[in-house]
Amino acid sequence: MRPLAELATPVMMGILLGGLYATIALGLSLVFGVVNEINIAHGDLVILGSYFGYVASTALGIDPILSLIIGAPLFFALGFAIQKYLLNRAFRISMDATLIIAFGISIILENTYQLIWTPLSRGLTTSYSVESFDVGTIHVPLVYLLDLVVAIVVMFCLHQFLRRTYLGTAIRAAAQDWKVAQLMGINTNRVYALTFGIATALASISGVFLGLTFPFTPVSGMSFLIIALGVIVLGGLGSIAGTFVAGIAFGLAQTVGGYFFGVAAQMLVAYTMVLVVLAVIPKGIFGR
Amino acid sequence: MNGETLLKVSHIDVFHGSFQALWDVSLSVESGEIVAIIGANGSGKSTLMEAISGLMHPARGSIEFEGHAISSLEPFQIVVRGISLMPEGGRIFPDLTVLENLKIGSYNRKARSESAENLQRVYELFPVLQARKTQPARTLSGGEKQMLALGRSLMSDPKLVLLDEMSLGLAPRLVNDLYVALREIRARGITVLFVEQNVRRSLAEADRAYIMETGRIVLSGRVEDLREEEKVKKAYFGT
Amino acid sequence: MVARPRLQGRLAPLSAVVVILALLPVIGAPRLWLLYLFLFFIYLALANMWNLLAGYSGLISLCPAAFVGLAGYTMAILTWFGWPYYVGIILGSIAAALFAALISVPAFRLRGIYFAIGTLVVPEILRYVFIIWVPVGKPVYGGGAGYTVKGVSDVASAQTYWLALAVAVASVVLMRYILRSKFGSGLAAIRDNDVTAAYSGINVFKLKLYSFVVAAFISGLAGTVFYVYQGYIEPASAFSVQWLIVIMLATVIGGEGTEEGPLVGSVIVVFLYFLLARYAQISLIIQGVILVVIMLAAPQGIIGFIRKARRRRSLA
Repeated sequence: MRPLAELATPVMMGILLGGLYATIALGLSLVFGVVNEINIAHGDLVILGSYFGYVASTALGIDPILSLIIGAPLFFALGFAIQKYLLNRAFRISMDATLIIAFGISIILENTYQLIWTPLSRGLTTSYSVESFDVGTIHVPLVYLLDLVVAIVVMFCLHQFLRRTYLGTAIRAAAQDWKVAQLMGINTNRVYALTFGIATALASISGVFLGLTFPFTPVSGMSFLIIALGVIVLGGLGSIAGTFVAGIAFGLAQTVGGYFFGVAAQMLVAYTMVLVVLAVIPKGIFGR
Repeated sequence: MNGETLLKVSHIDVFHGSFQALWDVSLSVESGEIVAIIGANGSGKSTLMEAISGLMHPARGSIEFEGHAISSLEPFQIVVRGISLMPEGGRIFPDLTVLENLKIGSYNRKARSESAENLQRVYELFPVLQARKTQPARTLSGGEKQMLALGRSLMSDPKLVLLDEMSLGLAPRLVNDLYVALREIRARGITVLFVEQNVRRSLAEADRAYIMETGRIVLSGRVEDLREEEKVKKAYFGT
Repeated sequence: MVARPRLQGRLAPLSAVVVILALLPVIGAPRLWLLYLFLFFIYLALANMWNLLAGYSGLISLCPAAFVGLAGYTMAILTWFGWPYYVGIILGSIAAALFAALISVPAFRLRGIYFAIGTLVVPEILRYVFIIWVPVGKPVYGGGAGYTVKGVSDVASAQTYWLALAVAVASVVLMRYILRSKFGSGLAAIRDNDVTAAYSGINVFKLKLYSFVVAAFISGLAGTVFYVYQGYIEPASAFSVQWLIVIMLATVIGGEGTEEGPLVGSVIVVFLYFLLARYAQISLIIQGVILVVIMLAAPQGIIGFIRKARRRRSLA
């Protein structure tokens, strides 16, 4: 049994890692809350962000975080197109259809990654990605801190957007009652596409930070999707704060679990938590 | 009242899946009128409202507003043209504040420029909404929610307002308030088409009325004439 | 359609086809044919079971790999203890069925999308379990419990071919039987709306449980036969999402919720396999594209499309 005093490090890491998980889950939560669809391809879109950062830094020499200035709008457009041309149509067919089509997109993405970048694991390395700093006796990699910072920034921006703009209010209205939202003059199809676009842009941001934090492979998307699903179920739909808290919970579960049960068991602990959450909390902590 | 035909519904059939809810329904509303649609539950009144507002599309027949066909348009396109529906039960957005509910009513491009003035007019009509403007809508009482829903439907700067059973489940005093507001709305130049189960109330407030049963219009005319109709007297007044 | 389930109707031609298929190894058909047919039989059985759940019971299950892998591992581990493989096939499938029964209690409390999420996680968890836990023998290179299946190296490929054929036929017969029975109409009611089905007196949980367990068992049979043929099993491929992709593709292309759908779909999937054998990565991308296109253009699959066309023609 490892000494409890050393628990401080995994706890700290878990909280910071939770920021990354919260950012990853945010896009998923947004789409689920507004459009009421679970985008199974979300994890793969996040990894697309990671690969985007990878290409930016290795082929073009641009810092991956800076590359998001171009990347995020690009991803927004991609998400907008996917919802508008594929998923909106799927909606009209059935709920199952959206699930299956999202699955198809996931297959296409994962195998395209395999084709282009091989199954080899990649990572985003920059001048600061190997830096770390000390808080007392705790040794923390800098990127973990960045993960938390970015989570807070992103959530703040999203919150402001949803509260203070007409479009943001329209999105919230569509999430609460999509039929009546139409009666307000809101083009719900377009709102869905915009929401998905925002979610995909968020995916690209979380993807870059993921790549800075962990090595990733073409099939990593699935693992992070599962954790993100756990986060949104635990955090409750439509709650940004809930997603943040739940993200931290999962980050802690992984690092503390890894501390006690070994590195190999990390993901297992996180996944088991997902199942427990599913079984116990269909509505989430802050959910409606 | 300038007597122009604002809304014309011609021989529409509307289906819910394979169930036919409306059979050969025709009606018209002239500018400046207050028209009532009277009928019991299941008579198809709400379906008619949904068809006019674009939430449902007729399988046969046509709907024209200001001379333009609208039956194949999406609801958000119809709102821009000047038709606003207050749905059954009000259906305010529970987690938006009162003010946000009202503002979202003027979401469409055309209404946005008038949003501030419209907001003031709604506050004049229902001062309680101004008092509670920062509260989440779900904290309002039943009557206040209906006022909010009605106010919200006015925010889109409509020419024609469709009201689907706005008095449902409310105490008589509140119902009175709402109908006072209705007269005020007409005074502002907005045409009203409302759905009611209460025959007496409908005939008291409207200029003309249509009576529906099981998806069909069975009787129509000016309210003075309807009051004299044998069928109406027997069926609804029990004499 | 509540009369005693009938197995007649097109029985004669179907039996003829089965006999011909069974004779192929005997008359010396090319090994490649036998391989592709073998895959076809395995996929057909799995697709039929996925169709039973998704197309008929309203359960979009994303965990067929769990049943396949669990059954396969049980069989493989049993061979390490000296049990013959055919015992392993039966016991492995029973293990899969028991597992299904076990998880059904919490799983069926989840509605719609939550159920899908839950079933998505299950194979992943099992994969990690078998990476960490090595029940017998030693971990293979690269980690995880990879095993050769003992005692099958001298099994003729014709035998596994016939086993696969038997499992495929069993799945077809089973589907036919279920769909024409009271069980089947109960499932149809649940698929449409399980709340109203419950109100009309149907024991929703029991019927879903039966579907799930049956599907797990047959999937287990298919999986174990596959691993007898392949001779080894390891976590990455046993619980891989690949199984789901192939099965979903076959069912959706053919027509989810139709009886012949999985058959048509499996033929096409194996045919695609054959065509694109040299282009492994691109073939998967193409499968993804096909899945998307089919759901948008012809969500009822080929069979559904044909039926609709026929109906339209007869009304004209």
